Amino acid sequence: MSGKEIDIGLKVLDHQLLDKNGRRCGNVDDLAIEGGVGDVPEVVAILCGPGYWGQRAGLIGRLASWIGGGRRVRVPWSEVRNVDSAVELKRGATELGLGRGDDRLRPYADKIPGAGR
Amino acid sequence: MSKVLGLGLGIIAAIGGFVDIGDLVFNVSAGAIFGYQLLWVIVIGLIGIIVYTEMCGRVAAVSGRAVFDAIRERVGFKAAVVALVSSEVVNLMTLAAELGGVAIALQLLSGLPYRWLIVLAVVAFAVVIWVTSFEWIERVFGFGGLCMLVFVVVAVKLGPDWGKVGTGFVPHISHVNRMLYAYFVVGILGTAMTPYEVYFYSSGGIEDQWSEKDLGLNRANAVLGYGLGGTLSFALMITGGALFLSRGISPQHLGTVALAAEQPLGRLGLLLALVGILFAVGSASIDTVFAGAYNLAQFCGWEWGRYRHPRGAPRFALTWLVLLVLALGILMTGVDPVILTEYAVLFSVVALPLTYVPILLVANDKAYMGRHVNGRIANGFGLLYLVVIMIVALAAIPLMILTNVGQN
Repeated sequence: MSGKEIDIGLKVLDHQLLDKNGRRCGNVDDLAIEGGVGDVPEVVAILCGPGYWGQRAGLIGRLASWIGGGRRVRVPWSEVRNVDSAVELKRGATELGLGRGDDRLRPYADKIPGAGR
Repeated sequence: MSKVLGLGLGIIAAIGGFVDIGDLVFNVSAGAIFGYQLLWVIVIGLIGIIVYTEMCGRVAAVSGRAVFDAIRERVGFKAAVVALVSSEVVNLMTLAAELGGVAIALQLLSGLPYRWLIVLAVVAFAVVIWVTSFEWIERVFGFGGLCMLVFVVVAVKLGPDWGKVGTGFVPHISHVNRMLYAYFVVGILGTAMTPYEVYFYSSGGIEDQWSEKDLGLNRANAVLGYGLGGTLSFALMITGGALFLSRGISPQHLGTVALAAEQPLGRLGLLLALVGILFAVGSASIDTVFAGAYNLAQFCGWEWGRYRHPRGAPRFALTWLVLLVLALGILMTGVDPVILTEYAVLFSVVALPLTYVPILLVANDKAYMGRHVNGRIANGFGLLYLVVIMIVALAAIPLMILTNVGQN
């Protein structure tokens, strides 16, 4: 996605990530921005996972990050298809390493009858 | 018929919010102490919750985003963590209280031991939520709660002085026992606008897969659902005033509330009241357990919703299961459910502004809402009620201390 002007602080940061099938697969927990002195800074990646919470909110963030397991996933900005009220991605969650917690828990849920009802 | 069934969400949210275990006792005791003098406060709370319910339902239908999404997007990560923690504590305390209410209602109906019935209630809820679709959950609990309408009959049959009831709808200050009166005003407003109602309702709209074409349904749910909840609150307060005011009785127990129906209507009235109370506190249990799971999942960005089934949203399913187990643990300590809801108000003080401000902001965002952004009326009322919410939030704790949680 390129060429469109958006307020990344308001429209991207802390928003829901949706994969190509509309599956909820994390929030935009932080952004990786590159650009040297004098350059126009550019968003290069979406950072997702409790591992990035510490750099957002000091002690509270580090505590929440520790409780959340500290996982970090980096999604290149080139994977973004559209920015709406959510951030839509071009590929499936599993391919991008997102939604791992749900994928791990699923086999256990499946053991209980009625999990697909 | 399908249009009537489509009101299930508004009814379950309103009954769970307006006549949950805390409110059942609170409204009847307000009537028992102050007669009909506090009826006007219910009207004010009612308008506020209708305004914000309609707003968050509209946001959900148009943008597909629920309340906790909006909180994280608008108040920033740090404040969102604070909102999450305080709302989860309120949800869990209230859930435990409501499940205790379910066990009390079952005990009054069956005579079996209270502790066994707590376990039974928790297991029953876990099984029901695991296997039943969201649509049927809202229908069964919402429409089962309609048995509470027996209290409207009770209120009329008790033959209250309608002139005095009428003056109760005019806002005024009490001449006696001002501090306790203020405590009841703040308590009634605070519980009318308890945050779990909007968490549940907005996510419920997404569960029901609302889109722009359902905006009329959203409005009908907000107005009719909460209109019903408000009517039940009026009836309970009038019942308390007509039955207990002159006798110096102030009910502290759910059983006393049910017994109020036996006086004018006999055994059938009592039975209907108990079944109504069972479904009302059951609705509140559903509201709070789902709200707790929605909030955590939305904060973390997990897949969520009963409509995704436990296999599609396993972390969400695990969250509500854990909340049920924690609530069971709290109840097993033998704590009084009614007291629990009164203290839960303390923690909702922080959650109140952090919940309602982001709803108002998002409902005004054209990028989300397109042509469905707030009009002048919604914004006018929205801003007015933010002021009301701030006053409630600031006054709640001092008044709880000064009146010893309404005991003096």
